[in-house]
Amino acid sequence: MRTFILRRVLQAIPLLVGISALTFLLLQLAPGDFLNTMAENPGISVESIEAMRTRFGLDRPWYVQYGLYLKNLVFHLDFGQSFSRHQPVFAVLREGLLNTLLLAVSAAVVTWGLAVPLGVWAAVRQYSWVDKGLSLLAFLWLSIPEVLSGLLLLFFAAKTGLFPVGGMRSLGWDSLDPLGKALDLLHHLALPALVVGMIPLAGRMRQMRANLLDVLRLDYVTTARAKGLDERTVVFKHAVRNAINPLITLFGFTLGALVSGSFVAEIIFSWPGLGRITLDALLTQDQYLVMGSVLMASVVLVAGNLVADILLAVADPRIAYD
Amino acid sequence: MHSTRSRLAAAAMLAFLAWGSAGCGGQQGIAGSTWNDPHPLPTDTMTVPTPEIGRHGGRFVISQTSGPRTFNHIMANETSSADVVDRMYVGFTELDYATDRIYPLLAKSWETSPDGTTWTWHLRRGACFSDGHPITSEDVLFNFELAYDEKLHPSIQDLLKVDGKEFEVSAPDSYTVVMKIPRPYALMVPAVGALKIMPKHRLEAAYRSGDFASAFNVATAPESIVVSGPFVLKEYVAGEKTVLTRNPYWFGVDAKGQRMPYLDEVIYLIVPDQEAASLKFQTGEVDAIDNVKPSDYSTYIDGQKKGNYTLYDLGPGMSTNFFWVNLNTVKEPKPGKKVGAPYTDPVRYSWFTRREFRQALSKAIDREAMIRSVFFGDAVKNWSTATPGNKTWYTPEAAGLDYDPEGAKALIAGMGWRDRDGDGIVEDELGRTVSFTMKTNGDNVARVALANFVRDDLSKIGIRCTPVPLDFNTLITNLRQDFQYESILLGLSSAVPPDPMMGQNVWKSSGLTHYWNVGQKKPGTEAEARIDALVADNVATLDLEARRRGWREIQEIVNREGYFIWLPTIVVKLPVRNKFGNLQPSVLPHRLLWNIDRVFVKEGGTPA
Repeated sequence: MRTFILRRVLQAIPLLVGISALTFLLLQLAPGDFLNTMAENPGISVESIEAMRTRFGLDRPWYVQYGLYLKNLVFHLDFGQSFSRHQPVFAVLREGLLNTLLLAVSAAVVTWGLAVPLGVWAAVRQYSWVDKGLSLLAFLWLSIPEVLSGLLLLFFAAKTGLFPVGGMRSLGWDSLDPLGKALDLLHHLALPALVVGMIPLAGRMRQMRANLLDVLRLDYVTTARAKGLDERTVVFKHAVRNAINPLITLFGFTLGALVSGSFVAEIIFSWPGLGRITLDALLTQDQYLVMGSVLMASVVLVAGNLVADILLAVADPRIAYD
Repeated sequence: MHSTRSRLAAAAMLAFLAWGSAGCGGQQGIAGSTWNDPHPLPTDTMTVPTPEIGRHGGRFVISQTSGPRTFNHIMANETSSADVVDRMYVGFTELDYATDRIYPLLAKSWETSPDGTTWTWHLRRGACFSDGHPITSEDVLFNFELAYDEKLHPSIQDLLKVDGKEFEVSAPDSYTVVMKIPRPYALMVPAVGALKIMPKHRLEAAYRSGDFASAFNVATAPESIVVSGPFVLKEYVAGEKTVLTRNPYWFGVDAKGQRMPYLDEVIYLIVPDQEAASLKFQTGEVDAIDNVKPSDYSTYIDGQKKGNYTLYDLGPGMSTNFFWVNLNTVKEPKPGKKVGAPYTDPVRYSWFTRREFRQALSKAIDREAMIRSVFFGDAVKNWSTATPGNKTWYTPEAAGLDYDPEGAKALIAGMGWRDRDGDGIVEDELGRTVSFTMKTNGDNVARVALANFVRDDLSKIGIRCTPVPLDFNTLITNLRQDFQYESILLGLSSAVPPDPMMGQNVWKSSGLTHYWNVGQKKPGTEAEARIDALVADNVATLDLEARRRGWREIQEIVNREGYFIWLPTIVVKLPVRNKFGNLQPSVLPHRLLWNIDRVFVKEGGTPA
């Protein structure tokens, strides 16, 4: 198991280098650079722009810039400086990353917390109105774009006053006791987590349903029923445990999808995560900040897949990594 | 280290106490106030013009689409940072948006030598930074050193040079600063006022070690960010909010001698989505919004009573909309390009260089219809970077060529162009169909709508114009680096103060924002040579009337030549909660916060 993990971590290195090279290349191919927006200001002269270009190293050929970036990253774990914030990239991204992970993990709880039980319910009541109703709902939600569902929920929050209109904390957060702080955070988290968590919900639910239906047709389930076990035990103790394996594999991918899915919700709900920093950085071509956030999102994806593999081994004793 | 610093601070405070007693003495908080002034007032207080005497307490919450990127005034380049840091630092002078006059701030007064080349400034005695350290000429010299630093090259540097030469700045004593310049400079007062004073005693070490650019960044502990302005940073939470609170040593007072600012806190909530910001305003979480689309004005008007707010009508804004055709020629020898050759297609260039053609374009645009349909009636015609909203520089006499479709057709026919093949589009004298593309940034919905409107109007005089919405960065690259475009629709917004010479790079033929033909070595046309001469005169003249005459001629030339084809300018309306006093929204940035140091929460308004 340990060698497996080590191998996977080592495999991730060329992958991340590849991702960073590709990102860098794409940024170079995009027209203009960070100083473009500044050049728009009639009060700033050509000399000022050129001086800044030299200061940021943007006057050097792209392979030199990338080489230096990689060298600093590998030898000093230095992600470079953000042009616009005059701050190390890692410092800019750290908090955003934590907030995005908080949102993504809560969304994952929403997805799995709903997908598994609803999928099971739909499977055991196949073709009933429950099954059909759930399918309908799932597909309805699947076809509403995240932007729209986000805005609708925000509108709902504003009209009813049941939830805060975006943001992560109330203005008076600092004066709350620890329990109040946690509750306030949860209150703010609920709607964005719902919006993000609902994206993969339909797919996961259908998957759970299909898997369980497959398993329920297997001989050992018939045997269990023939033994006279009650249906509850048959489904939950025997069938579901086997049916859930493919979903665990999907967990890793879904975590990645949730991180990127949260980017849109972050903007609508004023959630201070990685998404907004990345968007800002992309629009202003703050190149090392873009690189840093792409790399961090990739690390989350790779780590999510690794976690999924480990979970799989835990859930299924037949799977062993040497 | 820490104890030394606090001892120093204590010593400074003692010295300060002794000093302050010679002044007006401390003020007790007034009834209803939640704040007691802990420090004595300085000798030279600054009486801030306030329509009403206010009371201390309360807060003002505003939304921002993105947060500040630095708290270092000299390094702040974008509005999201400027909106915040402009409240935290002050310079020698400031513009009163309500009267459009410059008033003394950190400088109590100043004199000019008769030839206009020596300026002597007197600093306010007893003015202090937010840590109680006095602001002296030492700090001013340090800030000039920062501004002139070649490696930092802050954007303010260009404004603080005359004919490319730095000012000679010296400090005969702690409260006097003398500046020598080679010739009279019209922008002297606003230029010096734009340099906001940052504390030498907190920043010199960082500067000498080459770390100035990252000093006072958003990760710096708020208590170590020492400022000269009315507000000091209390808290910054990345992506969430920025909270400012009063600088306890600020030297501004109201007419009753109470220390300003009145508000306990100014809070900038970061709300990236405009719809979300509007909902936050409706729920009362936000007190004001500083950017509303004309299509939403009527919704805001309807909700005024229920939401207990007012939608202020600020009149015509300072931002402009216009388009121009590409007259750029190759300036430096490049592979495959001859110097003097046009960047755009030579056939189109031959049309673009004809003044009648550009005049026809201007006459083809039905601006009144545009105001009705694109701006929902909330816009006015505009013919200059000094819009009708510009109190000092708006020149109604210098209007351009307005809607006259018959006149436009006559100009087209006069060039020998007519529709030869009956497709509704004219052909030029050599039979080539007259068509061109118009680029604009696609993320700006209003500009795309304007471009579509221009297309329709031009088709009515037989010219085919195809709008091309683009990513902003691509557009700027086309505009500035490769000049690969036929025409561009864009806008410019005004500087503060809105003196047209603050944007002289638009008019000078050598300027980087002389869009139609950027960075000319020498003026390519007689008209541009005349503009160059007028600009040079204008910045070297101190007489306002003479400067206004020169400015009028510049606008007349630009409009006669049709270098810019002007489109209407939006009428700005902003909603603000009714509980605030002394609020004087203005079209200049920051429209709501420019005088936030004197805004207060009225009696009956909830103070928190």
